Amino acid sequence: MPKLIKNGEIIENTYQWLQDAEQEVSPNSIVAAQKWLSEKDTIGNIAGIWLEAGDGIEFLEDIDVNQFDIIGVHFPAFTDGRGFSYARLLRERLGYKGEIRALGHFIPDQLGYLLRVGFNSFQFSDTVDLEKALLLHKPFSITYQGDVADPRPLFLRR
Amino acid sequence: MYQYDVIDQQLVEERVAQFRDQTRRYLNQELSEQEFLPLRLQNGLYVQRYAPMLRIAIPYGMLSSAQLRKLADISCRYDRSYGHFSTRQNLQLNWPKIEDVPDILAELAEVQMHAVQTSGNCIRNTTTDQYAGVISDEIVDPRPYCELIRQWSTFHPEFAFLPRKFKIAVNATESADRAATQVHDIGLHIKKNAAGEIGFKVIVGGGLGRTPMVGVTISEFIPRADLLTYLDAIIRVYNQQGRRDNKYKARIKILVKALGIEEFRNRVEAEWTHLRGKESTVPMSEFDRLASFFSEPAYETLTDQPSSLTSKLTDSAGFARWYERNTFTHKKAGYRIVTLTLKKAGQAPGDATAEQMQKAADLADKFSFGELRVSHEQNLVLADVRQEQLVELWDAAKEAGFATPTLGLLTDMICCPGGDFCALANAKSIPIAAQIQDTFSDLDYLYDLGNIDLNISGCMNACGHHHVGNIGILGVDKKGEEFYQISIGGASGHDASIGKILGPSFAQEEISNVIQKLMNVYVEKRSEEERFIDTYRRVGITPFKEAAYAKAN
Ligand code: HEM
Ligand code: SF4
Repeated sequence: MPKLIKNGEIIENTYQWLQDAEQEVSPNSIVAAQKWLSEKDTIGNIAGIWLEAGDGIEFLEDIDVNQFDIIGVHFPAFTDGRGFSYARLLRERLGYKGEIRALGHFIPDQLGYLLRVGFNSFQFSDTVDLEKALLLHKPFSITYQGDVADPRPLFLRR
Repeated sequence: MYQYDVIDQQLVEERVAQFRDQTRRYLNQELSEQEFLPLRLQNGLYVQRYAPMLRIAIPYGMLSSAQLRKLADISCRYDRSYGHFSTRQNLQLNWPKIEDVPDILAELAEVQMHAVQTSGNCIRNTTTDQYAGVISDEIVDPRPYCELIRQWSTFHPEFAFLPRKFKIAVNATESADRAATQVHDIGLHIKKNAAGEIGFKVIVGGGLGRTPMVGVTISEFIPRADLLTYLDAIIRVYNQQGRRDNKYKARIKILVKALGIEEFRNRVEAEWTHLRGKESTVPMSEFDRLASFFSEPAYETLTDQPSSLTSKLTDSAGFARWYERNTFTHKKAGYRIVTLTLKKAGQAPGDATAEQMQKAADLADKFSFGELRVSHEQNLVLADVRQEQLVELWDAAKEAGFATPTLGLLTDMICCPGGDFCALANAKSIPIAAQIQDTFSDLDYLYDLGNIDLNISGCMNACGHHHVGNIGILGVDKKGEEFYQISIGGASGHDASIGKILGPSFAQEEISNVIQKLMNVYVEKRSEEERFIDTYRRVGITPFKEAAYAKAN
């Protein structure tokens, strides 16, 4: 399986992102959230779920999200910023502690923003050079707003 | 004026380094055209009809003379020695080379300027009243609040890839809204409540473009401490629920319209309950810190109407005219606000040559504490001029081509770059502006017509705000030929309204003639002192329409 970036390092990917509803589910699978929702009593052991842009996070509000080792967020296009809000809400509102993985069509230049809203792993498309991407891991040393790592805006830190 | 500290400075420098690397990778073909696009757009770099265009932010319109000199200098060394001041308090350079842009940005950073978020689907440069801080009837100076919003919106991690661009404008006076707040995604009106606390009336869902709308009030009063959490709530709802399938339907105005303001408000409130009172609540210490940058300059104790002024007003009709039109009451006795107009015939509205920029910077140093503002009508403003210096300033302004005494009149038009520069244009707009300026050159007649906003856009995108012009002119394409649709009845102030289309479009050479006919109807129908827009509102569109399309006989 292709490698990925997690917590600032290039590592082996141990999970399988199931994009296709017909694919076989295993304990390593990251399953579409909607599929998991309708089959949760029978689906068995899985690693986690993934959110499609448009899913929102509201349907997870009464669910123990920390039962998942990983929650993926799919970007249908890198210009589709819904996933930024999803990750932040997973962390800040639902208190999710596990891995949040960016999936799909996002680009290395977005890493700075993605990290700040709570993503910590990145499954890039095959064409991306991970060594180069890693260089873009933290573009700015300064932030005006609070974020998932530190909710205090700069005016509380200045 | 706001001064960067080491933190602000470091951030713009890191942004320059980031963009330098992005540009290098693009030129090396490590980044595709498609990937580079949103990256360059978030730095104000378009690729236009003939060349790239770089849009430089002038946050809430404030410029120091040193910054303006730098802009002049950059336009000479990297461009064709001129720039275009846009309706959104930005400066556009029309001919930079892509490979030079990182160097331009590095030079801008030396004077605390940047091109951050001047384009792209993110929160854009926040705009406000060009007379902020110097007019007597303002509730408080809006600029510290604009700076607060600037910092909050700069590289906001959650909102850099919104469904569409997002514009916020702030106003703090009851008597006028010079920032067109009601046609912004969010319009903020600074208010004081009965307890004397400062807060914001929040208007949401205004905008121009293909589906022009006046915004609606979502909250009558949000306490200032809660401003950022409330903005976060609105934009978070929009980011998740705004349409992304069609760029023309992606603006917040479409979401507000589709849900209805009640439902939209409910969703924002639901979101806000999670954010209100949390870390982004702004402490008083921060308001104080920001306000300290906008404290009053060293005004002298003076009296109004010094004798040098009164005698010149009686002696010189030209000066009197300029004084009446291009200057405005200041909150301090003995001072006056002066607009340097960029509407000289023969120059595209809003354009300034490098020489003019240098000159304006000199005037700011000599007459206005070294500061200027940019107005959304595409003019420059010297906010703090001593009345006893007005005569001297007038002479200097005339020489530099800044004294066209037509502020607020028919020929002080807003005009987008149109087909001469813009790749999206359906028609040219600058020649239309020139035609109207040529036809309506008689000052007495213009004065008699009084305040009229005439706005011209080269296409539906409405950069020239044609929808909210009392008279709006829109370039349209008919089978490859350029035509112009005229609307009347638009307004952008507290009485904001969207203009109504008169009827079939006109050929380029007919435009001034049609405007002339509209003016004739106005002159005939108006009651004493009635503005064009009020006459229109009273008599309706029909007489104007009849006159515009009447067959000559
Ligand atoms: C020359 C390059 C330019 C390009 C490519 C461009 C592009 C656009 C586009 C695509 C829109 C459509 C927005 C929508 O659909 O709602 C728009 C709107 C707008 N642009 Fe420009 N523009 C340019 C220049 C300018 C200039 C010179 C100004 C100011 C004089 C300006 C200020 C605005 C404003 C105020 C709007 C109105 C949008 C709204 O409030 O809804 N732009 N522009
Ligand atoms: S209104 Fe159209 S033609 Fe004019 S600048 Fe905007 S996009 Fe270009």
